[in-house]
Amino acid sequence: MNGCIVAFCCEHSAYPAADLAGKLRLHYPENIRVIRVPCAGRVDVIHILKALEKGAAAVLVLGCEDGACHHITGNTRAKERVKYCNMLLKEVQIDGRPVAMFNLSPNAPHKFVSAVNEITKIIKESGR
Amino acid sequence: MIIAERKPMEEIEQAMAPYKKVLVAGCGTCVAVCWAGGEKEVEILASQLRLARSAEGNEIVTLEATVERQCEKEMVAELKDKVAEVEAVLSLACGSGVQTMAELFEDKPVFPAVNTTFIGMPEKEGLWVEMCGACGDCVLDRTGGICPIVRCAKGLLNGPCGGTRKGGKCEIDPEKDCAWVLIYRRLEKQGRLDLMREYYSPRNFRAVKRPGRVQAVKA
Amino acid sequence: MEPKIGVFLCNCGGAINNIDFDAAVKKVAKFPGVTCVNLSSDLCLEKGREKMISCIRGENIERVVVAACSPEFQEHIFRKVLEKAGLNDHLLSMANIREQCSWTHDGDVTEKAVELVKMAVNRVRLLQPMEKKELPVNREVLVVGGGFSASNTVLQLSRVGLRTTLLEKEAVLGAGTEELESFYGFDTGSMISAVEVDKNIEVLTSAQMTEVGGKIGDFSVRIRQEGGEILRKYGAIVLATGHQTELALDSEPQLRAEDEAISGLNIVSQEQFCCMLGNSGLETEPKTIGFMFDFSDENSRFTTLATLNNALAAKKKWGSEIYVFCKNVKVDSEGMEKLYREARDCGVVFLKSEAPPRITAENGRVKIEAKDVFLGEDVILACDVLVAEELYLPAEGAENLSSLLSIRRDSKGFFQDENVHLYPVGSEKKGIFFIGGCRGDLDLGRVLTDISSVVMKVHELLSSGKILVELEKVKADPQKCVACLTCIRVCPHGAIQLVRVDGSKEVAEISDLACDACGICAAICPAKAIKFQGYRDEEILAQIEAIQEL
Repeated sequence: MNGCIVAFCCEHSAYPAADLAGKLRLHYPENIRVIRVPCAGRVDVIHILKALEKGAAAVLVLGCEDGACHHITGNTRAKERVKYCNMLLKEVQIDGRPVAMFNLSPNAPHKFVSAVNEITKIIKESGR
Repeated sequence: MIIAERKPMEEIEQAMAPYKKVLVAGCGTCVAVCWAGGEKEVEILASQLRLARSAEGNEIVTLEATVERQCEKEMVAELKDKVAEVEAVLSLACGSGVQTMAELFEDKPVFPAVNTTFIGMPEKEGLWVEMCGACGDCVLDRTGGICPIVRCAKGLLNGPCGGTRKGGKCEIDPEKDCAWVLIYRRLEKQGRLDLMREYYSPRNFRAVKRPGRVQAVKA
Repeated sequence: MEPKIGVFLCNCGGAINNIDFDAAVKKVAKFPGVTCVNLSSDLCLEKGREKMISCIRGENIERVVVAACSPEFQEHIFRKVLEKAGLNDHLLSMANIREQCSWTHDGDVTEKAVELVKMAVNRVRLLQPMEKKELPVNREVLVVGGGFSASNTVLQLSRVGLRTTLLEKEAVLGAGTEELESFYGFDTGSMISAVEVDKNIEVLTSAQMTEVGGKIGDFSVRIRQEGGEILRKYGAIVLATGHQTELALDSEPQLRAEDEAISGLNIVSQEQFCCMLGNSGLETEPKTIGFMFDFSDENSRFTTLATLNNALAAKKKWGSEIYVFCKNVKVDSEGMEKLYREARDCGVVFLKSEAPPRITAENGRVKIEAKDVFLGEDVILACDVLVAEELYLPAEGAENLSSLLSIRRDSKGFFQDENVHLYPVGSEKKGIFFIGGCRGDLDLGRVLTDISSVVMKVHELLSSGKILVELEKVKADPQKCVACLTCIRVCPHGAIQLVRVDGSKEVAEISDLACDACGICAAICPAKAIKFQGYRDEEILAQIEAIQEL
């Protein structure tokens, strides 16, 4: 099965949101692997690049809503790193694979599901 | 410390084009601290190269290593075995480190991945500014600790040029502060404005003969 | 030597029914390092846990993977199981095959489940044991302020057996309590007397903090009083520095121009109006009173409350005609809607207008003009007294305090909550709290809740004199650290300091007490010197490695 998404989920927002999606039996595509992190700010550029090197079709970083990061600046830093990563990929003409950041709160399972659906659609359309 | 900046990616890719196995070598001192050439930057650059070359169908194998200071022969010597395995070395160290690497491993082409820019310090997170030009004839005693050689766009020694813009900004680059305004204010705080009235004769630009050599008194 | 890994799968009493567990067990058993695979239907229940313990002991298992429900749910239970079985409780990794696998995908999900287990196995192989230790902490609390919130807090802390210092910058306690007294009928006098006689409370007046260092459990505070400076140590600091109000008259330039026509008495603040109400020697009782609020600041709980209370009080005391100009009346405090209805029933008139009223002087009286939304025309009122709109602001010195303590302030200048919904009384630094007016526009109900929250939290933290921490959970390797100061500058919790090791080298040291385990420092360290147990680079990358079908 191709087109796997690697999703780094912060334990204060996205991870519980994904859990809640499960509890509510909300469905989303199977091709996603969640890696739990204490804060989106823990995710480093090399983690994203290595996931892409391994062959991931997309890499997502999911953290708390703007202004509501449990660790104040974690989600802002994650956003900057995702931006930087996209720049690095563009430099070497590898910008066909989405690397994106999503912000959500722990009680927003629908946001988690729609992020996964949105990216899966982009992957399918780009033919990976 | 020495501040460096990664070279444009096209230059690096072009340099690496003929090679299939390279060592990406970082330095753990100055360039690591200014986020240009430390272990993390080595990892990222190596990953970028692998991704790019893999997409072209022309794989590249990268070895990665970072030594504490690439300008020390003993530390660079530790990389002997890794260098032996590769066709070329891509060094993220400052010019000093690149040359040490090149000298120790004369048979291998060594390429710089960063441009060494200046001696500076962090002004705020992620922003480094030039402070010292290594001119060999320090005048900071007379200017309240603000260097007119590099912080004044014209390198003037005897006061402002007269083109200072409103808000104390430089005539040449309005984003930058006029160094002489800064110097005046600093000396004013210290009650040493008399220094502004002293005339300093033109610099002896031969103060530092290139290449420079400094012999320390033996300890 | 590869550690022996035991994998425990659970079908959650049959709730996980789209995984072929037999096939999964066979595949998992082949993973390198896995010496034992077990399937249960009730792993988290007592029987299941007992079986797990005897399996761990019997098979000499050194690392444990549990593939079941979400770690958010039961991780702590399974950590206790490891402890009981004689293993360090950190050597556990969980695979979420229920909430994030079985329950969200259609059809057979065995393949994904097996991969999730592999990710957990890869991670657990690298996990290192972590020791826990109880670190001693100072049980004394510093409460900064001298008003209602501060006094209430120290009294409650005393009741739970904690000694406090009440630090007030003015010469006397009880500032800013007049309004509360008149609205709620408090006797602040007796509250202050109780504070002054309480043996657990030390009152320092005309005193201010000049320097604060240290961390939760061990803050060092330099306090300047008349006559000198003292150095004290505290386990926690609570800020109850209150607020101030300012008449929002900047929008009325014509008022200042006509200064002579308007004497100080005609346009007053809520506080001044309270004084007028309480002044039995008032020369003339105002016959017509105007109130204004909700134009500059649409989130003014306190001002709304003050207006309603004062309007009612004036009506009852003087029987004056009262007109309230506002955009909206937001009644989101306990009892406020009742107050509003009471005011209307008493005959207080509320006039709604979109734009702030124009205010001028006429014959020694204040003239207010506004376009009433319902009438559709201008209403002109000449009144004896106008209680003007007020802005609710942080008290003087808030900026200074925030830089002394290195805590952030929000866009209005009030202290920034660590989490607006879940942890509003805490700052981003452990051990520093704030309550009452200095947090923002509050009403009494919320203030009392704040006080109880903080008292409970401080008691929980400090009463035993010890705090249990995980030792070196996040640590900067002194061999690799180059003291670039990046981590110290970015830590949102102020938990990192520069210390000297081996008598000479300076390196970053992360406080086990103050660290909140976010990993921001670990990600940003240019020398990769910071190791965050459980989330080291290797541990994250190992999970990526396990994903086969990329």
